[in-house]
Amino acid sequence: MISDNAKKQIDTWIAKYPEGRQSSAVMEALKIVQAENENQLSHDTIQAVADYLNMPGIAAAEVATFYENYNHQPVGKHIIRFCHNISCMLNGSDDLIAHLETKLGVKTGEVTKDGLISVKKVECLGACVGAPMFQIGDQYYENLTTDKIDDIVDGLK
Amino acid sequence: MNEVCFKNLDKDQCWSLETYEASGGYSTWRKILKGEYTPDEIINELKISGLRGRGGAGFPTGLKWSFMPRNAEGQKYIVCNSDEGEPGTCKDRDILRFNPHAVIEGMAIGGYVMDATVGYNYIRGEFMEPFKRFEGALKEAYAAGLLGKNINGSEVSFDLYSHLGAGAYICGEETALLESIEGKKGQPRFKPPFPANVGLFGKPTTINNTESFASVPDIMQNGGQWFADLGVENSGGTKLFSVSGHVNNPANFEVSMGMPFSELLELAGGMRNGAKLKAVIPGGSSTPVLTAEAAMAMTMDYDGIDKAGSMLGAGSVIIMDDSTCMVEALTRLAHFYYDESCGQCTPCREGTGWLYRVLKRIMDGQGKADDIDLLLGVQEKIMGNTICALGDAAAMPVESFLRNFREEFEYYIEHKKSMVKG
Amino acid sequence: MADIKIEIDGQIVNAKAGETLIAVTDREGISVPRFCYHKKLSTSASCRMCLVDIEGVPKPQTSCSTPVSDGMKIHTQNDKAKASQKAVMEFLLINHPLDCPICDQGGECELQDVAVEYGSDVSRFSEGKRVIAASDIGPLIQTDMTRCIHCTRCVRFGSEIAGMMEMGGTGRGEDLKIEPFLAQGITSELSGNMIDVCPVGALTSKPFRYELRSWQMASVDSIARHDLTGSNIYAQTYKGQVKRVVSGDNEAVNETWISDRDRFSYEGLAHENRLLAPQIKVSGQWKEVEWDVALDFAVKGLNKHVLNNRKAHQLGGLASNTATTEEFYLMQKLLRELGCENLDYRLNINNLEQAIELASNIKLEELESIDYALVIGSNLRLEQPMINHRLRKAQLAGAQISAVNVKAFDYNFKTNHSTVAPQEIATLLAGILKCILEKQSIELPAYLAHVSSGELSLELADKLLNAESSVIVLGEHIVNNAQAAGIAQLVTEIAKRVKGATLNVSMTANALGAQHANFVPTSSGMNANEMLKADMRAFLLLDVYPEYDFHHASSAIEALSKEDVFVVSINSFNNDVIAKYADVLLPMAAMYETSGSHININHDIQSFKAVVQAPEEAKPAWKILKVLADLLELPGFHYENSTQISGELAHQSVHEHNQNSALALNAKSTKIETIWMHSAYHSDVLLRHAKSLSMSKIGQTNIASMSASTAKELSLKEGDYYLGVPVDITSDMADGCVFVSSNQATMGGLQ
Repeated sequence: MISDNAKKQIDTWIAKYPEGRQSSAVMEALKIVQAENENQLSHDTIQAVADYLNMPGIAAAEVATFYENYNHQPVGKHIIRFCHNISCMLNGSDDLIAHLETKLGVKTGEVTKDGLISVKKVECLGACVGAPMFQIGDQYYENLTTDKIDDIVDGLK
Repeated sequence: MNEVCFKNLDKDQCWSLETYEASGGYSTWRKILKGEYTPDEIINELKISGLRGRGGAGFPTGLKWSFMPRNAEGQKYIVCNSDEGEPGTCKDRDILRFNPHAVIEGMAIGGYVMDATVGYNYIRGEFMEPFKRFEGALKEAYAAGLLGKNINGSEVSFDLYSHLGAGAYICGEETALLESIEGKKGQPRFKPPFPANVGLFGKPTTINNTESFASVPDIMQNGGQWFADLGVENSGGTKLFSVSGHVNNPANFEVSMGMPFSELLELAGGMRNGAKLKAVIPGGSSTPVLTAEAAMAMTMDYDGIDKAGSMLGAGSVIIMDDSTCMVEALTRLAHFYYDESCGQCTPCREGTGWLYRVLKRIMDGQGKADDIDLLLGVQEKIMGNTICALGDAAAMPVESFLRNFREEFEYYIEHKKSMVKG
Repeated sequence: MADIKIEIDGQIVNAKAGETLIAVTDREGISVPRFCYHKKLSTSASCRMCLVDIEGVPKPQTSCSTPVSDGMKIHTQNDKAKASQKAVMEFLLINHPLDCPICDQGGECELQDVAVEYGSDVSRFSEGKRVIAASDIGPLIQTDMTRCIHCTRCVRFGSEIAGMMEMGGTGRGEDLKIEPFLAQGITSELSGNMIDVCPVGALTSKPFRYELRSWQMASVDSIARHDLTGSNIYAQTYKGQVKRVVSGDNEAVNETWISDRDRFSYEGLAHENRLLAPQIKVSGQWKEVEWDVALDFAVKGLNKHVLNNRKAHQLGGLASNTATTEEFYLMQKLLRELGCENLDYRLNINNLEQAIELASNIKLEELESIDYALVIGSNLRLEQPMINHRLRKAQLAGAQISAVNVKAFDYNFKTNHSTVAPQEIATLLAGILKCILEKQSIELPAYLAHVSSGELSLELADKLLNAESSVIVLGEHIVNNAQAAGIAQLVTEIAKRVKGATLNVSMTANALGAQHANFVPTSSGMNANEMLKADMRAFLLLDVYPEYDFHHASSAIEALSKEDVFVVSINSFNNDVIAKYADVLLPMAAMYETSGSHININHDIQSFKAVVQAPEEAKPAWKILKVLADLLELPGFHYENSTQISGELAHQSVHEHNQNSALALNAKSTKIETIWMHSAYHSDVLLRHAKSLSMSKIGQTNIASMSASTAKELSLKEGDYYLGVPVDITSDMADGCVFVSSNQATMGGLQ
């Protein structure tokens, strides 16, 4: 269920915490396992993480459903996490989200037919002076305009 | 400008150990390793500096550090709160990206003062670029023999790790953050006990904001008085202000406390398109909104903003011009708290959704005449009744928006459309 | 904690510095509303209902989490406190369905009660309420999470008391949902307590669903009799039927928790297999008759087969361990008055020569403060749940617990577990004793001369020696060990040497009542197994079901079925096996239907009244025995109620057992040993008829566990059956033995 490579990565996180506190690594472990499973967590993967960290399944499930970065429904290969909070809103994020939706032919929360991209409206990502902005993977894209969005999205493979 | 956390901002590779050390970085830490500082001396300098918690609460850092039972037996922890997520706030991201070693040194100094040999920097999960910068800096510091156990035979030990969040604003609340490091949901703990006595893994713990830690090395290097003199009475030093919204040059500005708001607005390039200033949220989304008049008369320090009727908070200045629909702005903020409430305690779990739904209904043209009283009533019932400050943070904008811009809400309810946007 | 004075609503009260405010107000009878607070669970302070105003503190504070300090001035009723309490109440109700008319919690709902006092008449909420989809978490607990107020008592109960976190809060904010991890359901043996702790109708009793409103029922205190705890319970009745059982409070016994077994067994009372009318067998045909006809038939039969010919020594009396102490007493008195010494309740033991004699000399409450426990031969969590709960508390407080079993059982606390084959237990204990004696420089008795202490013996001896207070717990899996008696003696000896206590959980139900009533043969009589082999002419049976109760199930059925043996069988349930061998069937009251007493592991004699009348013609067994004695013209049976029997019993001296015989270890078994345990929910006849328990995961347990090498030796593989039970090959088992946990008849029963 959890690959050796994933276990190795999880172990580096476990090493940061005191002995017996391996469940501190659950948030990263879930991310690592999610990344290996089409960006999505299932009952079984959550249980596998719980077992690996020697914690109750429901405790891992609590974490997996509390934090926003875990997906429990199918998502695209790339998730565009578009901030729609106040600073971005003041800078026109609503119009840009509408533009993106039209361009991709999906609504926020949906996945493009080819499974490549899904769009999610998220709360403040802490880059307010670069508003409007979104995140794809580890990368922030700031001071967005319709043209810039088109370029970025067209470059996604 | 840019005298403390941002002092190397204009340099190449400003985040590197080399740049940091060239400007005197780690000199305090090296002195500590040589036994040239006692914890009390450091606490004393911090008290003189007037440094107050930069995360939003504004509690004097020197005093906070003196509360830690540093002579207590057993493991103690020091934790940095880099879970920046309050709408309008984006300064810690830049500190981590551009001056990570100041955070490391600040934490190490704190660890020494409070006899905490292990530290964690809790970085919000989306901050992958800052996380990688910080990890890189940690690697440099370890390689340079600045961190570890019994560093250079000094008998001083300090191990520092970063912990990543996974998307929950509430983890910026310090006890929720501790729960999160323990691998649990970020649900704030009730207090007492306070983290200084029962904190991370049940051990005494001090939590400070990234900017607070990053300010410590320069305070030690130049003296507390130097820092105090940068600012004004009761608000020592400089402060990072994130200026966003309807300005020409939105950015983070490190300026002296006490700067008039009008000057800060100028620094940010003034109002975009020459529009008229309508409202300012001076300290992040949870601080009360101010009218243009109140804002223009205010100075950017704890007392100045307090006098204007709001709070300095995290120094997140959101500028709104006269094209802004205040009903829409408040609805967006209400949605944020509704979305980010952890759900643990009743008033916040039930009240934030209620507030949002009433506002949403008004925006959908289904407002009722008594909705304003209802909103005021609900926010009042949340206020002060919750485990943590998120309840108050959700309530305060509602109260201040309705107090300062009530006519826009009345208009929206009556005409089923925005007074500003039509 | 220092004594301090605080002021609550203008009244000066004494308190201990640091205790919580709610503990003080509860003690003083000052009412503070609450939902998440529970005195036996950790503080959550999340419902916010107990907010009060404390002078000098700007924000209202929760009473459940606020430690009191000297001079504190608290207002529980002023405007500020009331405003906060009313605010919380309003928030709690906006998403609550208010479906009270169809809610099983109606009338005993904490939310309803507090709302009456603190709620407003009019709700200003008009945004549409939250609805949570129904989910099935098993046959015992009904969920209706739309009603949930997120107090998390059930979550905390699971992780803190049940020791298995099964419920959790998923999602966040308004979407916070209290639920188990997807479809896994709830499996704890204590799960029903979640129903008791739930303040609203989110978790209710599934078997009780839609039956009645709480106020329609009478609540009668009673004693649960399925194990050695004798948990205090309330049986709730309506029109002569037990409709629900909830926990009672008794710190010395069950605190405030009960096992699911005690909570849901009542369902068996209404089972269609109840024996409801006296019956006699005439020419091989069963015939329902009046009581006087049946009793007359019984007396005549006994007279004809044994009494008239002075053959009382060919009469045998056997009783189930679930009988009341009074029933044991009356039955032995009846038999002994007839001159019969053949009586026994120890039906499940292979070799009664090896019967375990071991004291229980530590109380349940004291178990919490031991610092070391050695558990031998018990899956304590399922067999004696409340005793297990006390040991769990000890472990959480820092005690070390070692478990020596044939199988690595799933304890809900940290144990050092060793799997040891039954054949090796005596050697292990002898090794421990030897090691202790050597360390104490005491001369070794002869029987230890050739014992060598293995590594485990040394380790356990060290732990026992290092403990300030220890207990050795000996369980039911040992009763059929070829060396059982020696094992018990070794345990006694070891405990004596380390000044520790012993706890005998090798028997269950009211076995201690049977011992107290002398329901065992003296040397002139026969024990249960001897009776099966002897030339018997008649039996008097009290609620015996040989296919389940006897170790030698088929021999027992055979002995009872002999042509010229007359069997008077008093039973609460009927079945084909009984019908085959019995000559007269006398219907008896089951648990809840009779009065009497139960003796628990603390040696508390706990009396109970009949909660409901026995159905139809069934009568309390003490009455049946009394009338039978009268008809047999025996003197001294003029009882009008069971209390008179208890009074007489109190004056009887308990026979001394031959505890002092020199220890001589029987030879250890060399064959593959089978330990047969009924599933925890099949350990007595009422349980076996309790439908919902049978459907639960524990009730469904039916496996014969063995190691791979044992399976090979027995030529068995997964998918095969061992004594009719599905084979489970596991590395959790010691070699050379099979551990059966089954809901079927013993050892294949009739096969």
